[in-house]
Amino acid sequence: MRRFLLLISVVSLGLLVGCGSGSGGSTPKGVPTGGTGNTQPIAVDGGPVANTIYPNGAFIDVTICNPGTTTCQTINGILVDTGSFGLRILSSAITLTGLKTLTSGNSTLYNCINFADGSYLWGAAEVADVQMASELASSATIQVIADPAANTFTIPTNCSNGGIDEDNQVALGTNGILGVGPEPVDCGLACDPNGGNQFPPEPFYYLCASGTTCTPSFVSCGAICGDTSANQQVVNPVALFATDNNGVIIKLPTLSGGAASESGSLIFGIGTQTNNQVGSATIFTLDSQDTFSVTYKGVTYNSSNNTPSFIDSGSNAFFFPDTTIPTCTDVTSFYCPTSLLSLSATNLGTNNATGTVNFSIDNADNLFAEGGGADAAFSTLGGPNAGGGFDYGLPFFYGKSVFTSIDGAAVPSGTPAAPWWAY
Amino acid sequence: MAFGLGLPAFAALGGDVSSVHADQANMKASLKTTAGQAYTLHEIKTPMGMIVHEFVSADGRVFAVAWHGPSMPPMQQILGTYFQQFSAGVQAHHAAHVGRSPLNIQQAGLVVQSSGHPRGYFGRAYVPEMLPQGVTPDQIR
Repeated sequence: MRRFLLLISVVSLGLLVGCGSGSGGSTPKGVPTGGTGNTQPIAVDGGPVANTIYPNGAFIDVTICNPGTTTCQTINGILVDTGSFGLRILSSAITLTGLKTLTSGNSTLYNCINFADGSYLWGAAEVADVQMASELASSATIQVIADPAANTFTIPTNCSNGGIDEDNQVALGTNGILGVGPEPVDCGLACDPNGGNQFPPEPFYYLCASGTTCTPSFVSCGAICGDTSANQQVVNPVALFATDNNGVIIKLPTLSGGAASESGSLIFGIGTQTNNQVGSATIFTLDSQDTFSVTYKGVTYNSSNNTPSFIDSGSNAFFFPDTTIPTCTDVTSFYCPTSLLSLSATNLGTNNATGTVNFSIDNADNLFAEGGGADAAFSTLGGPNAGGGFDYGLPFFYGKSVFTSIDGAAVPSGTPAAPWWAY
Repeated sequence: MAFGLGLPAFAALGGDVSSVHADQANMKASLKTTAGQAYTLHEIKTPMGMIVHEFVSADGRVFAVAWHGPSMPPMQQILGTYFQQFSAGVQAHHAAHVGRSPLNIQQAGLVVQSSGHPRGYFGRAYVPEMLPQGVTPDQIR
């Protein structure tokens, strides 16, 4: 029997406290404020957590509003992540009251996301208008992390999955995550009631009522899944923009070694304005798992070998397998070579486009110590991906404009069907 | 194809071959078995497209699991008695590393490596001393 629960009602959660609009979280360290047109400023500035530097995190401001109103709050310190899909904000960073939570009967709809590092986010699916620069995503489903703050039910085991609940600013390292990767929604057809699955997959959506066990639920992904009902899955806000809705560009300046901070841009749309043309960039189309192929030192890493490779602004270093490079003794997730290494890899898209990437890896301990320990941007930070392939994190983005097109979106004429990366 | 719900969650990693069927049932998945010289590979595939490979040695023990797909696999289900050790390893990683990175738990009795992103997760877990003679970690995919 299909367990299909139509989520039609939206009610005010009424659990958020505060006084309307204002700035959430602590005072921003960096410069990003409201952008203009299709461009929102990025700061690689160490992030919003006091006394903690988040290395190679691309942070922006995001404005959320009660749907259809001008009652809004701008929240700083949101990580720009091309590896995930949808806006997720800590409830503790939100002072705005009046966001609408999705419900069915007396149950609240919850969303879960697992990250490959073993951490997870859990919180109610709520509806907000999302503004960045002059762009507006109306009635976007977002995840409000750790809302309600005190859970009245146990987080399902298939969500927590033995991992870390990043339900606060220190654990998360940010006030939220803006997932602007190559998909429009976080789950898609597999979670859709008409997607052909007999059971809702986990860990994505759950209906929870006080005093009961949470139940996995289907949630419609709307027109993109062939439904006549509106999308209610956590959505990449860019896909909801009226224009400039087919992808993003992350543009960061060239960096050599470490710096206290870097300033760049998140540009919305691809080929829709004079400032987002593909031009001479090479386009790499993606496979069904949003990955491509990288050859390094004679070994090819791709999903066919179960060692996929990908570009991800939300990873904070070049992560790749190379047992000849020593890892640091204090933080084994970073490399600590004895001298600067100049390396090269070759990318291959499913469209057979190729490109060589030259990059350098320096000693992470030395990088963190330079600049009096105050640096937040590092172009030569690397670490192992012992069981996997290439994970081109934020250092890959310095000195480039990196395009991420959204699966299913209209792309400029002459370019292959999305999803793809280009740089 | 659907199987009964609520079966006991037997250990997978480190467990016997019956745990493969428990995992299959828990994940409401299909199962394909390929016998090799050093081990038998059981491929569990869920309706969503998540694939779990369970490597069973000649003496009937699961010495490794590997996964890839659009979601993380149910770790408690596939790691069995190693689940707590995995969880402690995640805590240690998180305490040391600020920001997102692959996971690489390297302990004497357990290796867990996890990478990827939403829609494309990949990883593996194995017990080094249980690897059959001649089997290398590179084969655990």
